Amino acid sequence: MVINVKNLVKRYGDLIALDHFNLAVQEGEILGLLGPNGSGKTTAINCILSLLKYDKGTIEIYDQPMSPEAYDIKRQIGVVMQNVAVFNELTVYENIDYFCGLYVSDKQTRKKLVAEAIDFVGLNDFTKFYPKKLSGGLLRRLNIACGIAHKPRLIILDEPTVAVDPQSRNNILEGILKLNRQGATIIYTSHYMEEVEQICSRIAIMDKGKIIAMGTNEDLKKMIKSGEHINLELLNPEHLDLSAIKALPHIISAELTDHQLVVKSSRGKNNLIMILDHLKDQNIGIGKIYSEPPTLNDVFLEITGKELRD
Amino acid sequence: MQVYKALFKVIQKNRTLLMIYLVVFMVLALLLSGSYNPPQDTDFTKVKVNIAFINDDGDSQLVAGLKTYLAENANLVDIPDETQKLQDALFFRQVEYIVRVPDGFTQAMLNGEAVQLEKTTVPDSTSNIYMDLLINKYLNTVNAYTTNMPGLSQDDLTKYLAKDLAQQTEVTMISNGTHSVYAEKSGYYFNYLSYSLFAILILGVCSVMLVFNDTDLKRRNLCAPIRSANMNFQMILGNLSFAILTWLVLISASFIMYGSFMFTTTGLLLLLNSFVFTLAALSISYLIGNLVKSRGAMSAVANVFALGSSFIGGVFVPQALLGDNVLTIASFTPTYWYVKANNEIAAATSFNATNLQSIFTSMVLVLAFGVAVLGVTLVLIKQRRVEA
Repeated sequence: MVINVKNLVKRYGDLIALDHFNLAVQEGEILGLLGPNGSGKTTAINCILSLLKYDKGTIEIYDQPMSPEAYDIKRQIGVVMQNVAVFNELTVYENIDYFCGLYVSDKQTRKKLVAEAIDFVGLNDFTKFYPKKLSGGLLRRLNIACGIAHKPRLIILDEPTVAVDPQSRNNILEGILKLNRQGATIIYTSHYMEEVEQICSRIAIMDKGKIIAMGTNEDLKKMIKSGEHINLELLNPEHLDLSAIKALPHIISAELTDHQLVVKSSRGKNNLIMILDHLKDQNIGIGKIYSEPPTLNDVFLEITGKELRD
Repeated sequence: MQVYKALFKVIQKNRTLLMIYLVVFMVLALLLSGSYNPPQDTDFTKVKVNIAFINDDGDSQLVAGLKTYLAENANLVDIPDETQKLQDALFFRQVEYIVRVPDGFTQAMLNGEAVQLEKTTVPDSTSNIYMDLLINKYLNTVNAYTTNMPGLSQDDLTKYLAKDLAQQTEVTMISNGTHSVYAEKSGYYFNYLSYSLFAILILGVCSVMLVFNDTDLKRRNLCAPIRSANMNFQMILGNLSFAILTWLVLISASFIMYGSFMFTTTGLLLLLNSFVFTLAALSISYLIGNLVKSRGAMSAVANVFALGSSFIGGVFVPQALLGDNVLTIASFTPTYWYVKANNEIAAATSFNATNLQSIFTSMVLVLAFGVAVLGVTLVLIKQRRVEA
């Protein structure tokens, strides 16, 4: 077990930031911690890293109790904080060298590792730049390089793509997958469900300081009743009997906006064929059709009754 | 030594700002100490008063002896014996004292009778007293001979008088050491140096600590497997290196101004005292650096601490002129003890167990301030290591 958190409780006065939080992370996986802002993701990460005192519970990393003085454990962890944590007074190279040097004392080894980290995040052309001269995306990449340069076994990334342009975001996500392929276990927190779905092998959905659901992307979607979302462009919607559509089996809701019919179905087979047959019977022409599988937002919505991005 | 190296890179990045402070404070220190003029030495120089001597008694050996004696100790100016001219001479300060030997003076003196010389003087002139003393000395000596050796011839009397009055008491200034003209000037420079040093150290250390105490960077550093003691050691070592560099730059000016004097006991004690103060100032700066949150606060604190402690500690106004209450408050600052030691070092013409004990007591107190404040800072850092 890489991380084993049991019954973690963290209070800020009357506010319970973590409410008997449990988490188990296996070697080699990418675990996504997904939750809206304020759900307790960063608090959980800070407690795991011993940056915050907590009121109750236990945290073990690599089967050893984690504490501020657990230097052997810290040596195996790479951290990429939510806020960029670099020295504005040091160049890109100096920053990576500084953070790598906190873990690796041998100068030659460090030189090699720093070069690899620079190469990994694609900052080769910016090594002599000071952070203030870098764009938001490049700065995030520097932040990641500083966190992973020492080749840690466990990498914790706390919302590393906040305020990053789509191109840089894709680079970062590809990089994370690459690190995982190289053998690192990764914890990735985000409130962007698409990112989590894209890269995580297992996802833990958090709300109000608790994990409310956990599993693979598919497992989570199987947990809910909602099935696919069927979108149809109708050529002659005036002939549509919306109540008849709603009365069909497995249909949860149906809404017509202009020429666009959106039908939400519950889990079941042949829902699309059934709707198409019904429309054909009513002589309603169809322009475009597309079907969306349920998202993590649907999972979150069904469990909590609110949108993930509320 | 990653933290140490990074700390110096941060200092290097702030070097323009720090150099401006350093140059400004150094120039101020040089100007102020250069314009300071210590009180001049009061070496004794004999001054002769201009007097007029008028003899109404006729020629006698006794009067001639008096005239000769006065001529040795005053400048005799010839003024015609006319009232108007004598008054003019006094008014225009051609003479300050006119002595008139009355008729019958010699005989009366030889008979041991009470005789009074007539004098006309410039009112409130200090030279009057000096001349009175000289004349009384002559007359009293004559009186002593005529009383104790009746029948002594005038010839013999004047010989004895000449011999006795020629006696001088030799005064030799005895000192275990020499008091250089640079002693007080350098003392003043080193007093002012405390202000410059304090201000630069607060600004420099705070500039660095603001970077390292940035919440995100601090948390990131805390994630690394570096021991708290090691981190503090590197931080303190880095700041100590910066403090010593600053001290070296500031004392280099004293070597330029006072040259080889700085290698005398006085000079070396001033250097030692300033080094001890540097350590205390660094310790206080380190505490402030761990407390301030912004550059604005940094400048305010630097001014309040450096200027405030300098004012009440006797850097700008001598401690002797400060009130007891002010000095009592000031005694809780290292600046007070530093200045006190400096003043004692600069004032001492020689060093013995008594004054050295006082000087070193002040130094130990300054050092104790530094150690106590450093202890508080380390406790503060440890408490802040993990947030509640």
